[in-house]
Amino acid sequence: MNCSLLEAKPDWKAYALGELDAGARREAESHATTCAACCDELAAMRLTLDAMSTLRDEEIPRRIAFVSDKVFEPKWWRTLLNPTFAAACVVAAAILVHAFVARPSGEALQQAQIDAAVSKAVAAAEARQSAEMLAAYEMYDKQFKRMYISSNGIVRQ
Amino acid sequence: MIFREVEDRDLIAKARRGEVEAYNLLVSRWEKRLFNYLLRLVSNREDAFDLCQDTFLKAYQNLPKLDDPARFSGWLFRIAHNEAFSLLRKRKPEVELAAEPRAPGSADRLLPIELSLAVESALKRLSEDQREAVLLKVYQGFKFEEMAEILECPVSTVKSRLYTALDLLKTALAPAAMARGES
Repeated sequence: MNCSLLEAKPDWKAYALGELDAGARREAESHATTCAACCDELAAMRLTLDAMSTLRDEEIPRRIAFVSDKVFEPKWWRTLLNPTFAAACVVAAAILVHAFVARPSGEALQQAQIDAAVSKAVAAAEARQSAEMLAAYEMYDKQFKRMYISSNGIVRQ
Repeated sequence: MIFREVEDRDLIAKARRGEVEAYNLLVSRWEKRLFNYLLRLVSNREDAFDLCQDTFLKAYQNLPKLDDPARFSGWLFRIAHNEAFSLLRKRKPEVELAAEPRAPGSADRLLPIELSLAVESALKRLSEDQREAVLLKVYQGFKFEEMAEILECPVSTVKSRLYTALDLLKTALAPAAMARGES
């Protein structure tokens, strides 16, 4: 027995598998009420799918290893090759060098304080000498002018 | 299913931000479905388990490449499909299982377990492409378009493989299915 619609008959596999839209489903169901061949085909399809539904899912034999499990942790040398980790190491090393090498020790600090005090004292002495020299120069200049005036009889008008 | 997709999307977003626990939760949700798909496809529990493990690892590594998190399931099954067929290609061609036609009368009063074994046997007699089409549609519930994406072939090819497989299964299972229906 064949369907009278021949090539245009409903796609019963798509129907049984839930792939037809609502309109196509209604059309197919309407056709099935009058077509024995299509009714048989749909029944056979449903019987097959029912039989297939008896196949049950099996439990997984053991747990899938998670990506956070130890087995997936990278080796220590791989960690070193990680650019982020390597950059962090360089920064940490630079901080350590700065903290322990570039920082003045107790002796160095004391020496620096002495140097600063000496520099300050030297600067003060130089300033004092300059002032004394300037005062002496002014005094000699005044005396020279007085002597010059008195020896030449020049009187300032 | 919609809630599941929404939650999957949320977990994927978290996993992409480096929250490994979120990905672990995704694995817990999908491992059974994926394992059973692979088990029916390769017909070996250990191989199926290893493939399942590899699939989840590859998926984790490639998570940033997933364009649309709503399509996570299809994307995951595509990775599994590639892994499985890579293994199947490496295997030596197996001796085709001899068809075991049942005498019509021998299927009387089949128990569910017997019908289940008949289904398993009938599935094994399909070609790998046909079997995979059945697994994705009947057991995993993917739409034709999703199957086409997983299998990387046109929808027409998907339908052709699936319909041929269903015709073969109908013939193979008819005696057993009818016997069950009568009992």
